[in-house]
This record gives sequence, C-alpha cells and structure tokens, in this order.
Amino acid sequence: MADLECRDLRRAYGEHVVLAGVNLTVPEGTLTAILGSSGSGKTTLLRIVIGFVAADGGTVSIGGTLVTDSGSVHVPPDRRAIGYVAQEGALFPHLTVAQNVAFGLPRAERKHGSRVGEALDLVGLDRRHADRRPHELSGGEQRRVALARALAPRPALVLLDEPFSGLDAALRGETRAAVLDALAAAGATAVLVTHDQAEALSMGREVAVLRDGQLVQTAAPDTLYRAPADLDLARFVGDAVVVSGEARGGTVVCTFGTLHVRGEAVMGPVDVMIRPEQIRVERTAVGAGVAARVVGLSFYGAETIVHLELAEGPRTAVNARTFDGAGAAAGEEVRLLVNGPVVTYPATDSKPDERGEAATPTAS
Amino acid sequence: MRRRSARRRFSTPGGLLAACLVAALLVAAPVVVTVVQAAQGGFSVAGTAIGSTSTLTLLLHSIEVAAAATPICAVIGVGTAWFVERTTLPARRLWAVLVVAPLTIPPFVTSYAWANFGPSFQGFVGAAGIIAFSYYPIVFLLVAVALRGLDPALEETGRSLGLSGRGTFFRVVLPQLRPAIYGGMLLIVLDALVEFDAFVGLKFQTFSFDVYAQYQLGFSTSGAAALSLASIALCVVLLFGEARLRGHANYTRVSQGARRLVSRYELGRATVPVIVAMAAVVAISVGIPVGMLVRWFVESSHAALSSAGGNLTYLLPATLTSVEIGVAAAVLGLLLALPIAVAAVRHRGPVVTVLERTMYLSFALPDLVGAIALAYLASHWLHVLYGSFVLLVFAEAILFAPFAVVALRATFGQLERSLEESARSLGSGPLASFWRVTLPLARPGLVAALVLVFTFTLGDLSTTQVLLPVNLYTLGTEFYANSSTVAFAAAAPFAAVLIALAVGAAYLLMSRFGTVRALTSR
Repeated sequence: MADLECRDLRRAYGEHVVLAGVNLTVPEGTLTAILGSSGSGKTTLLRIVIGFVAADGGTVSIGGTLVTDSGSVHVPPDRRAIGYVAQEGALFPHLTVAQNVAFGLPRAERKHGSRVGEALDLVGLDRRHADRRPHELSGGEQRRVALARALAPRPALVLLDEPFSGLDAALRGETRAAVLDALAAAGATAVLVTHDQAEALSMGREVAVLRDGQLVQTAAPDTLYRAPADLDLARFVGDAVVVSGEARGGTVVCTFGTLHVRGEAVMGPVDVMIRPEQIRVERTAVGAGVAARVVGLSFYGAETIVHLELAEGPRTAVNARTFDGAGAAAGEEVRLLVNGPVVTYPATDSKPDERGEAATPTAS
Repeated sequence: MRRRSARRRFSTPGGLLAACLVAALLVAAPVVVTVVQAAQGGFSVAGTAIGSTSTLTLLLHSIEVAAAATPICAVIGVGTAWFVERTTLPARRLWAVLVVAPLTIPPFVTSYAWANFGPSFQGFVGAAGIIAFSYYPIVFLLVAVALRGLDPALEETGRSLGLSGRGTFFRVVLPQLRPAIYGGMLLIVLDALVEFDAFVGLKFQTFSFDVYAQYQLGFSTSGAAALSLASIALCVVLLFGEARLRGHANYTRVSQGARRLVSRYELGRATVPVIVAMAAVVAISVGIPVGMLVRWFVESSHAALSSAGGNLTYLLPATLTSVEIGVAAAVLGLLLALPIAVAAVRHRGPVVTVLERTMYLSFALPDLVGAIALAYLASHWLHVLYGSFVLLVFAEAILFAPFAVVALRATFGQLERSLEESARSLGSGPLASFWRVTLPLARPGLVAALVLVFTFTLGDLSTTQVLLPVNLYTLGTEFYANSSTVAFAAAAPFAAVLIALAVGAAYLLMSRFGTVRALTSR
C-alpha cells in the first residue's frame, strides 16, 4: 500500500496560477513520468508532494495516509518517508559517498550495517567509491549516489526531479537504465519529473502531461504518443503532420487519400494528425500516393528527416521521418504514402497558419 | 482563513521566528529605553537639547563626515576587491590581508595616530579620512564575495556584444555588485553617524561628542536621550530608504549548469600603477597606525624606562580581560545573529525583513547612550546584572551583532537550498538538517562572524568605559588612559597587542568571509 494519490491540488504564487486542480494516481510499484514544459508547474507539484511547498487546496495521500490537506494537515517533509532525488543530485559536499548514502539511516545503521553497500549495489555503483567525495565522481556517478541515498532508508515512494539534466547523451542513457533497474529492484513507487519527451515515454509505465497547471492526459506511453487527447498535446509529445480532412465513420478523406482512423468513428470536418514516421517516401513520379517534391534533408545519424512540399493545392509542408532518407535528393519528385491509422480531432476554425508549420492552409 | 494561517505557519517555522523576535527585541531594547527616557525628560528638556544651535551644527558635522567618507569607502572597496579577486595582481592573499586589516585595527588607535600628524588632521579631514580608511574593508569583503559569485559567462557575453573591458565592468559587472555596495555603504553611514571612538584623538566635534557632553558635563541622561532621538530617526530613515533602494533586486545567478572558474584579467603594463595604488591605500590605512606605534616605541626606548616598564605588568591581565570579553561577546553575538541570518536567506518575507532591519537599530544610538540605557535597564529591572561582566558582554554583543548577521548571510547565501531539502527528505528535522548539513558547510562564515564581533569588541571604547566592572581594565581602556594623558610611550605596548590581534583577525576574515567549506581538494 504505497500508492500516491493527489486530489485537486491547487497552488498560485500571487496572481500566477501554477497548479489549477491536479488529480494524479500512481499505482503501487510503478513509475509515472510527469511531462511538462518549463513553467508548467511540474516542479511545484513534486515539491507539494514532498512537502517543501504548501498547497492552496487539495490533498495528497501516500499509501492511504493523508500527508497534505490544505489548511488542516501538513506532515513535514522529514516525516513523509519519501525518497527525493534533486536536480543535479545535491550531494552533501562535506560527506563521503558512504556518509551521504547513510545520511537518512537510523543512527545505529549509519556506521555499522550493510545498508550502504546494498544501496550502492542497487544503483550499480562500485563499492570502492564509498570513501570518495562527491566532487571526485563523474556526473552520472553523482546521480547514482543521489539515488542510492534516497533509496537507502527504503522509502515507499521516490520522487525524481529532472534527475538526468546536465548529463551527456551516452551517460544519460546508461544512468536511466541504472535508475530503472534500481527502482524495479527496490519495488518503489516512483514519480519522475521531466521536460524531455523521450525520457518520459521511455521510462514511465504511465506518462502524465502537465499543461497550464492541469494534467491534460495520463496514459501509457504508446497511447499518449499514438492517440494524444488533443492536437496541442500531439505536437508536444512528438512531431506531427496536420492536414484537414473529412471524416466518414472509420475513415478520413484528406490530401493523402482515404486513411484509417484510430479510435471512435466520427463524421464531418476534422484535423488529421499523422506522425512523420508514418509517411513513406517512394522515389517515383507516378503511381500510388500523393505527389510531393523534396525540399531538403536533415541528417540525424540514426534517422533522416525528409522535408517535403505537396505538389498539388497550397503546397503544404510535410516532414517524413525515414531510416535513410529513402535515397532521395533535394528537388526530386516523389510520392507519399501513409502507413497505419491516423488520429482525427474536431476541425479548428482558427486560422490555419497558427497551427504550426505542417498545417494545411484550407482552400475555402 | 484556516488555509491562510496554515500557509503562514508553514512558510517560516515558528521556532525560528520566535528566536528572531527575541534577538530583535534584545537589540532594540536600548533604543526603547532611550526613547522612554527622552519622553520622561519631557518636551522642554528634549526641546532645549535638540533645539540648540550647537546640536544642529554637530549633527551636521556627523552627516558631512558620513557623506564624505562613504563614497570613498565604496570606491576603494570596489577597486581593491576587483584587483584582488579578478586580476593577476601578484601576492593577492597578502594584499587581501593588508586591505582587510584596517577594519580590525581599533578606531581609537587610528584616531591618535592621525592626530599625531598635526592640527590639519585633527579636523574634518582627519575625521572623514579615519572613517574612509578604517571602514572601506566592509565594502571590500562584501564586494569580494559578490565578485566570486559572478557568472563569467555574463562578462563574456558583454564582451561578445561589443563592450570594451571597461564598458563590461561598468555596464555588466558593477550593476550586479550594487546590492553588495549599497549594503556596505549603509553599514558605514550608520556607523559614521554615531561614531565616537574614532574621533577621540581629534579636536573635531561630532554628534556623539554633543551627546557625550550632555551626559558628562550636565549629567543629564534625558538630555542625552533626547539628542539620540535625532540619530534614531536618521537611522530608521536610512534603513528603510536602503530597503526601498534595494527593492526586490535579485542578482543571484539565474542560469543553471556547471560554472566555469572565474578568469582573471591580465594586468600587464598596469601592474606597477595598480601596485602603487594598492600600496598607497595600505600605507594610509595600515601604515599610519603602525607607523605611529613604531615611533612611540622608539621614543619610549629613549625615555625613562620607568613609565613604560611599570605599565607592562598590566599588559597581560588587560589582554586576558579583553580576550575574555571579546570571545564571550562573539559567541553571544553569533547566537543572536544566527536565527536572523537563516531567516533572511531562507524565509524572506515582510516580517523577517522588519526583524532583520531591527537588528541594525544597534547603530541608532551613540555607543555611550546605548550603554547608559542598558545600565539603566539593569539597575531598574535586573539588579544582579548591574555593573557585571555579563552586562558588558551583552552590550558588546548586541552592538556588533549586525556585522555577524552580514557575515553569516554572505555565507548562507552560497549554500544551495536543495542540500537542506535533501536532508529533510531523508528524515532529518529542520534543526537536525541545520546541524548536520548547514553548519558544517557554513563553518568559515561562522568563523568570520565570530572574528568580526571579537575584533570590534576589542576595539570598542565607549561601551567598555561605561559598563566595565570597576576592578577590571582592558587593552583599550589602558591605551586610552595613557594616550589621553599624552603618555604615548606607555600606551604603545597595549596598541601593539591590539594591532597584532587585528592582523590575525584580518587574515581569518580575508580567508573565511562569505565562503563555504572548501571541498575541492582533500
């Protein structure tokens, strides 16, 4: 019984509303990633859960125990038994690694006891590091020590505040894996706060997206990515190609032809959201699909983004994510096909150019 | 309503607030007593005392000295700090000690030294000069901390936007130093307005002299108290004026990520002129008192040994008494300053700001008046303390506690909040977190605070003279007793011990002020 439950959390700084009624449930033993752009209130949410910031309204309970109820209950942070990994780690610079890890243990266990070694093993850190000082460790090692320190007292809930910020890509991947393994081994319930989509999608059993002080969608990563609740969300969790179309039950008719729709069947004018990796580039001027011209290529190593312009109509810009750029060159005439089902949203009547670079300027 | 009260309780811990309140009340006690005394004297006494033309003239003298000396302090303080912290000036640590030393040399020693230069130095020039060259290290210490905290990327950005080195200094660096400079200048102005010890050797009369005369000649406590109303009013105006001036300025580093080491500017051809300028500052501020001391020693070796030799038997007891008072006052001053400093750094808000500013009310009274107020308080309410060692220690502690607050804030400001929060999340309560994390890291700041209160207590004359238990004598009182009777040779040994202690203190201050425990090397 160590699930986290937040009900209608509200917090404002003066006139500025940071959290406007957040409801969040994190099931026992799972990791939920809270994804939000900077200023979305995600750190405030974390700080309310741990007790560094008071809520204006709402409740927080951990494992069924009420720890925050605005106005009546405020359990101080040191009595919540929450493991906390701050940004940059926040290791105590005057203590060794072992002393850092032992910090939260009962006095008797600090010097004698196997817990420090166990915690270091848990995060995959060599026990030889125990006598070192934090500044003698690399960035990734520091984050692992911070996690070991948070896990040592066996907290039921662990909060991680952008735990991988400032690490380079290779170290980031490695440290992420170590953190996931350690959390799984400890069986702890965890909340991770991040602004990095890939990090949230790859680490969370569930991902909750915080926008303007509210959780707009809480879902499994693939659901969130493939069927986001609204168009803004679709653009936030990944790149999106958006064109307008006409829904006809299970299908939609748009520039790309007739496509299958994911989810409920609707009728009428819609916006069609296609992920760039769904678009297949065929190096032929005639045949199936819609005609387009290659404008340019962006090479990222593992993938290549092909920038395209539709040949007919208002020359809509479209990006396709490909393995190798489909061998196409700038200026080449190609045809585009769409793989898999697409997502539709009720058509927005706002001016199309406000919808982003890939939106379709409607002809009417 | 419930929600509101819950949030307030949460934002500043009750225990901390209570400790701040006690400290502020203790520091404000002499001011309250003085106001009450002035009121008891009635409007006629107050009116006569304040209304006399001489009072106005003398108050004006004090204001003129403060106005002349404070800008000089700012310029010297910022300049020396820049050269020591940010350039390739040779022997920087030595320069730092020499530049800080004038603050720790007792002002009355400096005063007699300047007076020795002749009549022209015994007037306004001497008074303003002594203040300027004794107190600029306050600006130096605060600005040095601010300079160490600057993000080098800001200067680099300034240069990349086409500013010259000089332009970068004035448009990028200086604006960021503003809070440190204003803070230092405020302390100096407040101190200069009620300064008395630094002028004992001069013939220049200031506001404190007037108060002294009221008390000494007329034995009029209420007259002295009434006069002090003027300095109280001035002090309050300045305290809140500076708060307005500073406003919500927040110049702490905004950007995140690892910070590179601050680069130092090559002095190159400017090395010699800079060294000459630094040497000139040191020659005036340290050279004059030390030079005087040497001269007195030389003269004493020519003079009959009896006068000097006789006094040497007093040297050891005087030193011991001075150190005892200094250490006790430093510990007490630190305890008074700690809660306020923690609250000011970690729990800023209107209540904390008022309490913090209240600490500076110890500058509102001429030392003499504050001491008399405490004696009065003790004689009426706590007779056990009257004429006791404890009362003197208490008086010194509250007098110099604001400097301890400044020193502690400078260090606490360097500590990241996330360290304390991590400790809290690991199950340590607020006090345990402070004890296990904040204090160990802030140790240099604690040392700096102790040293400041210790040396100021050592260099205090007015308060000591009023409250010193009858059978005791200190380095300061012995020096003064001999100097005022022109027995300079006899005074020299006491001054020598004071200056030796001052140099040690300067070293500790230079290396500890505004720093956290160094952990980059084992």
